[in-house]
Amino acid sequence: MEPIIQIVNYSWKYPDSENPALNGVNLQIMPGEFVGIIGPNGAGKTTLALSMNGLIPGQYHGIKQGEVFVLGKEVEEYPKGELQMHVGMVFSDPEAQFTAMTVEDELVFGLENLGLSRNDIKERLEWVVQLTDLQRLLNKPPYEISGGQKQRVALAAVLAMKPQVMVLDEPTSMLDPLSRKRIFQVLRQLRETQQHTIIMIEHSLENLTPLTDRMILLSEGNVVLHADTRSFFQDPTLVERGVYPSEVIQYFHQIKKRGWYEDEIPITLDEAIEVQEKLLASLKVFNDRKGL
Amino acid sequence: MATAVKKSEMTAEEIWTVQPGERRSVGVIHIVILALLIGIGFVVGAFGSISFPLGFGVNFFWTGIAVQQVGAIWFGGWGVLAGAIFPFFSNAIAGTPFYVSLAYVPANAVQAFLPAWAFRKFKADPRLKSGRDYLILFIAMVVSSAFGALWSPLVVLRGFGLLTTESVPLFIWGWFGGNVIAGIVFNFILLKALSAVVIRTPAFVKRWWS
Amino acid sequence: MNKTLLGYVPKESPIYEVHPFVKLFFLLVVSLFPLFVAAPEWNFGLLVFLLLLMFLCRIDMRTLRIYVPVAISMGSIILLSYTVLGGRHAEFQVVANVFGFPIYWERLRDALVVYFRILPMIATMVFFLSTSRERDVIVAMRSIKMPFVVTYVFAMALRSAGMVLEDFHIVRQAEQARGFDTTGKSLAYKIRKYVMYMIPLFALSLRRAEEFTNALVARGYSFTGKAAKIKRADYVLTHYSYKIHDYILILLITAAFGVLLYLSLGLGFFELDKSQFIQWLHQILS
Repeated sequence: MEPIIQIVNYSWKYPDSENPALNGVNLQIMPGEFVGIIGPNGAGKTTLALSMNGLIPGQYHGIKQGEVFVLGKEVEEYPKGELQMHVGMVFSDPEAQFTAMTVEDELVFGLENLGLSRNDIKERLEWVVQLTDLQRLLNKPPYEISGGQKQRVALAAVLAMKPQVMVLDEPTSMLDPLSRKRIFQVLRQLRETQQHTIIMIEHSLENLTPLTDRMILLSEGNVVLHADTRSFFQDPTLVERGVYPSEVIQYFHQIKKRGWYEDEIPITLDEAIEVQEKLLASLKVFNDRKGL
Repeated sequence: MATAVKKSEMTAEEIWTVQPGERRSVGVIHIVILALLIGIGFVVGAFGSISFPLGFGVNFFWTGIAVQQVGAIWFGGWGVLAGAIFPFFSNAIAGTPFYVSLAYVPANAVQAFLPAWAFRKFKADPRLKSGRDYLILFIAMVVSSAFGALWSPLVVLRGFGLLTTESVPLFIWGWFGGNVIAGIVFNFILLKALSAVVIRTPAFVKRWWS
Repeated sequence: MNKTLLGYVPKESPIYEVHPFVKLFFLLVVSLFPLFVAAPEWNFGLLVFLLLLMFLCRIDMRTLRIYVPVAISMGSIILLSYTVLGGRHAEFQVVANVFGFPIYWERLRDALVVYFRILPMIATMVFFLSTSRERDVIVAMRSIKMPFVVTYVFAMALRSAGMVLEDFHIVRQAEQARGFDTTGKSLAYKIRKYVMYMIPLFALSLRRAEEFTNALVARGYSFTGKAAKIKRADYVLTHYSYKIHDYILILLITAAFGVLLYLSLGLGFFELDKSQFIQWLHQILS
């Protein structure tokens, strides 16, 4: 199977910065994967996201080296407006993504850019509104809805276009915990029911980890760690590298470090409870035998 | 996209000159800039029209002049377009009749165009680095406002029969003074404070459209 | 009432049954009526008609209060311009002397004519703004086949005006939280404060330009090239359809304009010499 996105020795330097934002990055993303990208601020995550949908170098000044292939074609070879049909992007600031005067117009904008007919637009609109629970907001102007609702609309607007790849750049960073949870619920549904390739930059590892197939850690423009999710979180040096996984994972790393646990680190709360139950059960057996 | 040229060391000549190998083209960002300038001008211009009215959209102190002239200096033809269009809306909100607002468009277009033209023709630095830059801006402001002041009361208001011949001078001076004084208050500060940032953005227009 | 960027509009109103194009047509055509009518009583009648229309459309008449100072100041300016600043004319009839300034009948008459022309023109604009939501204006523009980029720029301009207003309130609240308040301060102080608002507002707007652009491009919009030539479905128009009453209204407005032109230009029906009000006023002042 051919990768849907292939990044080859890719570097990008903004005009006024001394160091490149991305430095010799090599990556392959396969169709249908859910990839999480994490890293400290300034690591180059957003630059990587913008490079995948052609906004870099299309809308930005800078020096590019290497290549970014999407669906087998270099991003600069795509005619204007075409790449974005295949790669949808959701940005972190919900305020900056609304350019229409009602929610419905916002959802429909991308579909009109695709040249769809009114019937097709109606069908897609109904589908995406149902998926993201936006029925009550359709006629509302953007300044009347909350940040969480705006971000759901932004996600829906991209989803409606049915791109093969969706890149989400910290879509929940400006949201309250409840709104964040709702966004992840939508993503969970997508993961289960659709065939999108999803690339998500996120700081909330608690919510991200259960969804991803692979994780990538970026630091100072370099890929420093890249593995399937389970293997990724087995690495005991994560915290030293500036990654703060969920407390469940941190807990098991700590007890592993103390020699109290030897098996694979569970990466979700449910797994951790299961492991903990087994541990307690074996401790009970041990105590029973010893008469304690 | 353009290769890295250290803009902080750029001279005024370099700011306005397309460098060898530099590719510039009209893009979505310019449409967005046009819309944003109309939006800002709409708010700022309406404030001026409502707060300091003389009558028929003529104001003692028209804050919209900053968006008109500074916008055109930075964004060329897009700023001129915005400068011609937004007063129509800000005047409408302030209660100026529809056709009077429409007839003001040439005056507003010239008020936006002249400073933009002067800066490009004489290679003045939008960061206002020297006395020459200040002088070019001031003269452009005065000449463009003079045109606007002559067009609007003379051609428009007199043409619509809204003023007598004898009262036209009051409106001419009102329009002229209202624009020049507001321009002196806002234009220099805005250019000085923000030009260094703006010239580094992809939105900055070196020629007229890109 | 709902607050839009154009003003306050009623939550429910019979005017929403009318296609937005008809409202735009009304604005464009009826705004012209006063230009062909010199007799003040007819323009006053038009003003009363417009106010009645606003009442029937459930516009909250209290929101019209903001236009009262505009009407008063405009009236004062016109009166001053035509009387005190109107110069001296030996051929005119003096009806009064105010602080040594002769007030001529002809100038007073002309001032009244101009004022009663302006009032219904303003009222037409107010009626339009008070009954049009932002989407209505966009639909009206698309209905007359204005290029998409023009209507979209207008929509984005409205959106950015809203964001500028929000930013302005946030900056102002932040300043007030720090103890800054312009209430009771001198004009020079207020202007200085205003300058300090302009810079961050401009800077924020410029940053937004980049973000807006990314959002538009990410949704496949292009201003140039093949993507710009795609035939758009104009989905928003599916919510609006012309009904029989829209055609009737368009016909009525057009017919009214036609009759007005005939009466005014053909028969001179609305000239000053036929104005009952002017004749009555002249008698009283003489």
